[in-house]
Amino acid sequence: MGLTNKQGEYMNKKMVKVFATAVTGILVAGLGLLTTPASAAKTTINYFTFSAAPDHLDTLKAMVAAFEKKNPNIHVNIQTASYDDYFTKLKTQVAAGKAPDTFELNYENFVTYAKAGSLLNLNKVISADKTFKKSVYYGKAYDVFNSKGAQFGVPASYSTVVLIYNKDLFDAAGVSYPKNSWDWSDEEAAAKALKAKLPAGTYADFQPIQFWEFYKVLGQAGGTFLSADGKSATFAKQPGINALTWLTGKYNSGYMPTAAQMGTLDDGAMFKAGKLAMIHTGIWMFDGFKDAPFKWDIAVQPGGVTPGNHFFANSVVVSSKTKNAAAAWQWAKFMTSDNAAVKLRVDASWEVPAVSAKAPLASYLAKTPPANRQAVFEALKNPIVPPVIGQQNAMQDAVNAWLEKAKNGTVTPTEALKSAAAEVNAILAKE
Amino acid sequence: MTLNKSPLRYIGRPALIFGAIIMIFPFFWMGSSSLKDEAEAFATPPTLIPKAATLENFRKLTEYLDIQQLMINSIVVSVTVTFLQLLTSSMAGYAFARMNFRGKNFLFLTYMVTMMIPMQVIIVPLFIEMKYLKLVDSLVGLGLPMIASAFGAFFMRQAMMSIPKEIEEAARIDGAGHFRIFFKIAIPLTIPALSALFILAFMSVWNAFLWPLVIIFSPEKMTLPLGLANLHGQYATDWPLVMAGTTVSVIPIAVIYLLLQKQITQSFLTAGLKG
Repeated sequence: MGLTNKQGEYMNKKMVKVFATAVTGILVAGLGLLTTPASAAKTTINYFTFSAAPDHLDTLKAMVAAFEKKNPNIHVNIQTASYDDYFTKLKTQVAAGKAPDTFELNYENFVTYAKAGSLLNLNKVISADKTFKKSVYYGKAYDVFNSKGAQFGVPASYSTVVLIYNKDLFDAAGVSYPKNSWDWSDEEAAAKALKAKLPAGTYADFQPIQFWEFYKVLGQAGGTFLSADGKSATFAKQPGINALTWLTGKYNSGYMPTAAQMGTLDDGAMFKAGKLAMIHTGIWMFDGFKDAPFKWDIAVQPGGVTPGNHFFANSVVVSSKTKNAAAAWQWAKFMTSDNAAVKLRVDASWEVPAVSAKAPLASYLAKTPPANRQAVFEALKNPIVPPVIGQQNAMQDAVNAWLEKAKNGTVTPTEALKSAAAEVNAILAKE
Repeated sequence: MTLNKSPLRYIGRPALIFGAIIMIFPFFWMGSSSLKDEAEAFATPPTLIPKAATLENFRKLTEYLDIQQLMINSIVVSVTVTFLQLLTSSMAGYAFARMNFRGKNFLFLTYMVTMMIPMQVIIVPLFIEMKYLKLVDSLVGLGLPMIASAFGAFFMRQAMMSIPKEIEEAARIDGAGHFRIFFKIAIPLTIPALSALFILAFMSVWNAFLWPLVIIFSPEKMTLPLGLANLHGQYATDWPLVMAGTTVSVIPIAVIYLLLQKQITQSFLTAGLKG
């Protein structure tokens, strides 16, 4: 460039002025947008949740309104994110030391956050609260959020998986409906009988073959996923082999659709299209199947040598960094166990509240379909909690990869489990 | 010119039309799905044109989300940030292209290197910075980090370098300084490039997700992508509803593109000629 040094210096000064003007402009524009939060005399706590949006945001707002009416000195500020994005946001906030006072955690993630020291040990506030009884919660649901004697959260809701069946297809094939007392052999017999009668393209049964299904079937087969101390994988023993053999056997039976036969449909869509007689899926699908053009009902999932059912729970926890522990506890308690909150939850079909009292659940049970809603509570008599470790995703990926190979028949169930166990042990060794 | 007379045109045109169909199809599918109910959206064989078209998904969308507020937030942030980004990018581009100062090449290289650092890496420090600036959960905090763009500076530097030196020298003889050259010559001569950068910047701000997700908490300050992400449930997602939301969010981008189409095409053409 043809600039002399002198010219350059002069220009630089001028540029500085331009920059100063621009920066001032930006700041003025910025201030215009800036909203100053109103300072209130009452305590404000934040509650961050993944289960409310989009369907149940109004229900949550009603809960907050009821809570604030009862506790006029506390204001609850709701923050939401979808489940897929929730943990990205939560992790950043925790890392930056700005975690919400109270937030929602599902059981699988609870363990990680408790271990990391992000959660407040509630023992102190609980023992100071004379009006609180832990018996208000369904026993198991409260206890799973206890780690080595420290209560880190209270259960807000739970979910489980049941056997959902298409009554019309059973009627058409002349096969009798599933019962809560069924075991694997009953299911297999019914599936074979159905298959013989159902038209081509319609299948008798579907059960996924992946981590989340395997640990439960393993439990039904009498096995455990990890050793009692959580330091080694125990799922490759005989019960595990039986469990996986049962699952892969179903896949190759002809009465369960293969991945190719399902095409672009997932199991839920296929059931809703009337092309599946039985499906093992979560109670969260009830709403989606509500308008299905056929009659359907549910039963407890058939057991193996022992009955066993999924137990998924979401809890409300308090951040270890909160400055308002007492207010946070009041909200956590109210949101999960107060009659008003429980009623709102049940009326909105927002999962099942984890309370022990039967009365508030009456309206949940009265809703149809399914007529046999009682099966949801029957299922919880034999809960199986998911195995959880620090590197949860690594473990799930390792197990899923081998289950997939066993499903496709490239390795036997025994080989698959042996290899998966070796990988999981390697992951555990690094924890 | 010879292309018009060559037999190649018989192949060329259908090939272009075919390419256009491939590009348009996802958008068509999005629009089509947004008018279907859930059963039809997953029906096999799939239907191209909805059999029973319904606006139900759009009604549900307004029920779940405050679309108007989301739209306003997205527009305010995108427009403000884009204009400021154009200003900073063209200033930086001008400095890198037309001025000499110590450490210029090193500084430019540093700029380029920052383009290789993914957002995920800097998100926590950036969040902490915003916490100290008290800008967490504000639209300012959302927009501030996006005002300066290394890519924009690079893009504008290339455009500014193509301005003939003679024009600048003529202006200088007439007594113009950098300030005047920048506003009276460099900016008008790089309008096509600025238009192209406008679209690129606008799109990236409009679609920004990770940073807004982390920095914004209050529903009334959310941008469209955040609102749309809230439509995904923990266990199941109502896809036609998501498609309806996506359709709504695509419209502003499409409008802007159509408005600036001429300038953008020109920008790419001049870039090509210069080669």
